Amino acid sequence: MNKRLRLRHGVVCAAKKALLIMKLSAILLLVGVFKLSAGVGQSSISLKIDKLEISKILGMIEKQSSFRFLYNSRLKDIQQQVSLDVKDQPVEAVLGRIFTGTDLTYKVMENNLIVIVSGKIEKQDIPVTGKVTSDNGEALSGVSVTLKGTTRGTTTDNSGNFSLLVPQNGTLVISYIGYQDQEIAVNNQTVVNVKLEQSSKPLDQVVVVGYGTQRKIDVTGATATVKGTELVKQPVMTPTQAMQGKVAGVQIISSGQPGSQPSVRIRGTGSMLGGVEPLYVVDGVITTDITNINTADIVNVDILKDASSTAIYGARGSNGVIIITTKQGSGKLKLSYNGNVGIQSATNLVKMANAQQYITYVQSSFGPPVQATGYSTDWYSQILRNAVEQNHGITLSGSSEKTNYLFSVDYIDDQGIVIDNDFKRFTLRTNEQFKITNNLKFGFFASYSNGNIQNVNLGSAYNDAYRAAPTVPGLIKGKYGNSSLFQNVGNPILDIKDNNNHTADNRLQGNAFLEYKPWTWLTLRSNIGADWDNAVNRVYTYQFAADTTTFVTPGGNQSNLYSNLTWNAGNSLHWVWDNTATFNKYFNEHDLTILVGTTSEQIFSSYSQADVDGVPPDPSLWYISNGNFALPFLPPSGGGANQTRNSYLARVNYSYMDKYLFTGNFRADGSSTFPANNRWGYFPSFGVGWVVSREGFMQNQHTFDALKLRASWGKSGNDVTGYGTQGYTLTLLENLPYFFGGQATSGSAISQIVDQNLKWETTTESDIAVEFSTIHGKLTGDIEGYTKIVKDALINVLIPSTLGSYNPSGSGGYVLTNAASIQNKGVEVSLNWHDQINSHLSYFVGANITFNQNTVVGLNGGQPYIDGPIGADQPDVTRTDNGHPIGSFYVQKVVGVFQSQADIDNYKDKNGNILEPGTEPGDFKYQYDANGHLDSVFAGSYQPKEYFGVNMGMNYKNFDLSIVLIGSLGGKIYNGKKAFRQSLLDNVESSTADNYWTNSNHSNSEPRANGGDLPASTYFVESGNYVRINNVNIGYTIPAAAIEKTKVISSLRIYISAQNPLTLKAYSGFTPEIQSSSPTSAGIELNAYPSVKTYSIGVNVGF
Amino acid sequence: MNKKIIYGSILMATLLSVACQKNFLNVQTTTPTPSNDPTVAMDLVSGVYSSLIYVDPRGGWNYDTHGISFVAATDIMSDDADKGSYLADQPGVLDLDNFTETAGNSFVAALWNGYYVGIGRVNNALAALAVAKLDTATANRLIAEVRFIRGYYYFNLVRFFGGVPIVITVPNGPKAANSNASYVTRASVTEVYNNVIIPDMQFAMNELPPKAGTSTGRINRGIAEGMLAKVYLYLQNWQMAFSLTQDIINSGQYSLVPDYSTIWRQAGDNNAESIFEIETGGFGGTDAGIPLYSEFQGPRNAGGGWNNPTFPDATGDLGWGFCTPSTSLISAYDSGDLREAASIIFVNPSFAAPTGDTLWDGFVIPKRSSVQALYYNYKAYHSEKLETFYGNRDRKEKNIHLFRFAEVLLINAEAANELGQASTATTDLNQVRTRAGLPNTTAVSQSDIRTAIWNERRVELALEHDRFFDLVRTGRAAQAMTAAGKNFAAGKNELLPIPSVQIALSGGKLTQNPGY
Repeated sequence: MNKRLRLRHGVVCAAKKALLIMKLSAILLLVGVFKLSAGVGQSSISLKIDKLEISKILGMIEKQSSFRFLYNSRLKDIQQQVSLDVKDQPVEAVLGRIFTGTDLTYKVMENNLIVIVSGKIEKQDIPVTGKVTSDNGEALSGVSVTLKGTTRGTTTDNSGNFSLLVPQNGTLVISYIGYQDQEIAVNNQTVVNVKLEQSSKPLDQVVVVGYGTQRKIDVTGATATVKGTELVKQPVMTPTQAMQGKVAGVQIISSGQPGSQPSVRIRGTGSMLGGVEPLYVVDGVITTDITNINTADIVNVDILKDASSTAIYGARGSNGVIIITTKQGSGKLKLSYNGNVGIQSATNLVKMANAQQYITYVQSSFGPPVQATGYSTDWYSQILRNAVEQNHGITLSGSSEKTNYLFSVDYIDDQGIVIDNDFKRFTLRTNEQFKITNNLKFGFFASYSNGNIQNVNLGSAYNDAYRAAPTVPGLIKGKYGNSSLFQNVGNPILDIKDNNNHTADNRLQGNAFLEYKPWTWLTLRSNIGADWDNAVNRVYTYQFAADTTTFVTPGGNQSNLYSNLTWNAGNSLHWVWDNTATFNKYFNEHDLTILVGTTSEQIFSSYSQADVDGVPPDPSLWYISNGNFALPFLPPSGGGANQTRNSYLARVNYSYMDKYLFTGNFRADGSSTFPANNRWGYFPSFGVGWVVSREGFMQNQHTFDALKLRASWGKSGNDVTGYGTQGYTLTLLENLPYFFGGQATSGSAISQIVDQNLKWETTTESDIAVEFSTIHGKLTGDIEGYTKIVKDALINVLIPSTLGSYNPSGSGGYVLTNAASIQNKGVEVSLNWHDQINSHLSYFVGANITFNQNTVVGLNGGQPYIDGPIGADQPDVTRTDNGHPIGSFYVQKVVGVFQSQADIDNYKDKNGNILEPGTEPGDFKYQYDANGHLDSVFAGSYQPKEYFGVNMGMNYKNFDLSIVLIGSLGGKIYNGKKAFRQSLLDNVESSTADNYWTNSNHSNSEPRANGGDLPASTYFVESGNYVRINNVNIGYTIPAAAIEKTKVISSLRIYISAQNPLTLKAYSGFTPEIQSSSPTSAGIELNAYPSVKTYSIGVNVGF
Repeated sequence: MNKKIIYGSILMATLLSVACQKNFLNVQTTTPTPSNDPTVAMDLVSGVYSSLIYVDPRGGWNYDTHGISFVAATDIMSDDADKGSYLADQPGVLDLDNFTETAGNSFVAALWNGYYVGIGRVNNALAALAVAKLDTATANRLIAEVRFIRGYYYFNLVRFFGGVPIVITVPNGPKAANSNASYVTRASVTEVYNNVIIPDMQFAMNELPPKAGTSTGRINRGIAEGMLAKVYLYLQNWQMAFSLTQDIINSGQYSLVPDYSTIWRQAGDNNAESIFEIETGGFGGTDAGIPLYSEFQGPRNAGGGWNNPTFPDATGDLGWGFCTPSTSLISAYDSGDLREAASIIFVNPSFAAPTGDTLWDGFVIPKRSSVQALYYNYKAYHSEKLETFYGNRDRKEKNIHLFRFAEVLLINAEAANELGQASTATTDLNQVRTRAGLPNTTAVSQSDIRTAIWNERRVELALEHDRFFDLVRTGRAAQAMTAAGKNFAAGKNELLPIPSVQIALSGGKLTQNPGY
């Protein structure tokens, strides 16, 4: 036994040496160092030797014959020198002569392998050989085969074969990542073939960790997995949306807008002006948009949360990484169909005042006289509808010994609840893998998607629907009610109908890899991925006048003097080339995996846009050349961007006795986005883990089936500056008009100062966690704490205007620079319970909650960043400042409503001055500071303090039920649409019309009727707390006996699903989920897509 | 064994292949630069011109050269016009009207920001012209054009704020102000005149062709010469002011147009009288005038929208109703002065009048009950019926006449009078009066002629952004403002406050004007 141990030790030395050589980049030498195989020679030996080490003689025998020798090169006797003169002797005779006078003995195994050991071989040991395969018959290489109770063992070769000397009555333990361990008694068998079954235990499952996989139990970082089978239960169009509430630490904000990608925040908001979305990796291809992925193609989504996991993605990792793995075919040929059809409708609509309420309110606010018209228009109902969504997919998959294949087709049509809105997507996917030889594998993944989106002008339509008077009719006999004539607000229906905005998107995404395993312990892999996208956006605006052709009554300013066509064609190609070498060696309870690699990538994009007036309204004529070029037109524009990245990465995973775990990562990233002096960044991370439950002292306890502690520290980066691909170069402000000789000229300007030292934002994150499984595996869970500090976050810093810098979104000169620090601190708890009560009934309940605190901890020069524009009366409502969350609402504080003139007269400062002399009873009373100055207060931010998800379900006989519940607490929402109300004739919400302050209704929360020109205040800040039943899915699987008769169908499940059937929310607006691309102005509801509920039926058929 | 080594080596060698390409991260820029494309420098010059129209397309709230902040700090601040609109609309403008503005006033900040961004565009254009591969003559002409505009912007800055920091190079980064204090330290008024305004204008005058030798809209010799004459008028260098204006008069390139009322209509764009004019037109599918200039000053309804079917033309507000001509201005016109009706829209004050007034293009202003004020600025009016209009009321194509031949005559007159040439002065003055339908001046003494010229300037150039500067220049501001009932503090309100944010950003190097 000990001898075996030493033998393995020799290999480690070689591996260490190899690493050293790697460092010296002498790659070619590396492969030559190892010698493990021998050529084919004669079976009889002829040798004449005078004094040579036995080991060298053995080498000469290998050269002459087909024999291979296995021995520990440190055996003393093997270094003895002997002389020899033999001619055409069998090997046994030669060995007998060489070993005379040593304590070496040998045993001839199968395949001419001769094992040489010191001392006598124990009598009862027999050689056992075998082959290990997976449940679908594929040979598994690198499987650990050990003799139970000992450290004696080996691993399978590329063909899945192993051989080992074991006692006749011994027991073999066969274990492999992601499969259930198997124990097999030898019982004198010399051939033991093993088929391993995939494991279903969470801790044994394999998780994707970026450029590789690991057993969940061995992971030292914070990662989570969501299975594709869970995602397809929800009739939503993007997989991200179906992940809501599934994973602690991952906040997903989605809107019901067809074709939109939800916002994802992993462990809080980590940037102010840079990117805040996580990185997506689809089968190894890095991307930022996954709206092209068919959810049914996904096998798993893995989420990397902490820096120790994401550091392998270096400068891209600090917002977390979402890795999507698509399905592979396996087993015999399978054909399946999945389909669902559903009805969508808007839910939680805000009820606006009807005509009578409106007239009364306007008169109370001393607005101009308004007459009843006989109309009482509910504008939202005019622009919303019940819509149909449907999804149909067919998948063909299977595998044979040398290949596995999957082919899928999917079609989605999501009409959307707004009139004219529509999203159609057709996707094709093919995933193939070929085993060229036992150690050479080739594969490719490819998906094509074609999306057609009919966009609607929601910005105007929703805003106008909120403000338009109910006394104006919507549409009468094809003519629009003229709300702009009445009150200078466009007719919301016409806002949508007056243009046709269509996007056609074609995207091809895929990758191909070659994987070579010269030896079981080394995997060389080269992977090239590409993502090609071609999108054409065409916006046609109809010509119409404010006359009786269009409107019931003429006048007003909703008109288009000329029709307009804007055509924008964009193209991008993104390729990534990864090359990795993975060394994996298991020796005497030491499991070591080393990954080294390089990646390079390039993104090249271009677009061109043209714009012309006077194109005829017939859609077949919607081309730029059909415009009227006598009218002024914007010069055609276009441009391109070219961006490259180059990285080196390395990772060490080491575990000892499966108890003590260590992970080290290092990545160096170079990015063309930054100036040459700041181009390279270095991202180290470390993680340690301790599987306590494997310790001896835990063997006699029954509380924990598994218990693991882990901690990590690491750095990752964010190179999304929101500043173009070469943020340090000056860009021209273009299309600046001037007129020479009556001719329009398009000028340009350099009106910016750029920071020549711009660099990426750097996140340093520490994480500590405990994972456990208890009550016989019924309860599993983990509790995790983290601190994430972002340094060098981008922020706009004011500079003197005399430097000539122009800031297009504010006043005064700004320069974007790395000058802020942000902290996210949090705790995540996940608990999962599942139980099988009897053979008919099983159930599960899982819950996760995340507590996160976001704080700005440093700003350059203490300048707060002001954002959140609502309108002229409220130019900014948020302030990002030290000690507060990013994008906190900063507004005047309403302390009540003046109930009487005496109330106003008594509201004084310390010097006895009346604080609000111009007000009247019914106006707001605002908070003043000690000096009598109007006080503004921080009134919370959109970022929740806690968010949670509950997943539960049961199986009873052939029925299955699952329920997903999500919620969020502690966030605030700014009711921007209410704040945007800006004239005496703007409509109000029905609840306002019922509750506003009057002489007879002394409200202390609602002011008197007004024209909307109120300052920003806490009146508009509302609680963002909500709980939602996100999805309920009830399925019935037709019993096998019943469908067997059909001989065509092999499995059939039908289900009904309710998406978002119920939301309990504190917020008075349309939805507590407000999507915003800018963290500094998040959570302002101006024109959010209302929440959508969907009832659908679906079927899963296997043929 | 050999196979494994070969395959392995090939695959492993690719690991480092990319690293060998040293230039992989040095991607080529996809946009042209002044040194590889001479049109960049020429476009930057056009961009400097464009800053005359706007610096910020949103309309002069945050950055302004000739939009609403300019109107507020020139006409509204003077005794020619009142703030207008309803009382609570734009308190910042009301503060300027009443001289209660503070250093935090956003309209004042917009002017500071706007002119310095414009100056930055000039400096960047000059830097590009220095490296662009252009023939010397073209390069020199373009340099002269943009230097004139820089000189003009400094002339406005020095009149609004007094001495200001002189920035005539491109700052080399955001921290330039730390390393070079001159970027945030105020130069004296004399230094601004002597080191920037006069050299820039003189250079332009020397290098540029006359009006006839270049395209309309481009800076020409006449513009530079005329504006330089005005600069000398401010410096009371009567000889230079006289000789430069005399040169323009003698050039024969300019003359007074017969009908004063056409000057501010589209028909008067680039007429015989025009010297320096901001050009507007159709661009990008729509109108490209100075953002809000016309709309800001357009007649405003009394609330609720003009939906009176009696006035089918009156669809919605024509404008926001700012900068309403003052009674002080109206009383400054002699009876019979044709310029009064050409400069001011009069709303019939009778509530009983059956219809409103008809404007020159046939547009009917609604009657008194629907209109907020009695007087509006006719010079800012742009016809949607008879003048070019593509539908963008925010950007109506109203050319701004910054300098007209009539003013050349009046400068010539003023300088001649100060030099003791009374007859030349009265000849100039009478040319202007004759066109206005007025008899020759009766002034004889130098002092009376001086007063007559000053009065003539007021009515001839009414609402043309000159009045306030003129009052300060001639030392009459306090007296005139007090007469107009304004709360003017002599020694303080001649200049605007330096924006407080800018003082803070300079680390206190930028100093405040007295009294603020």
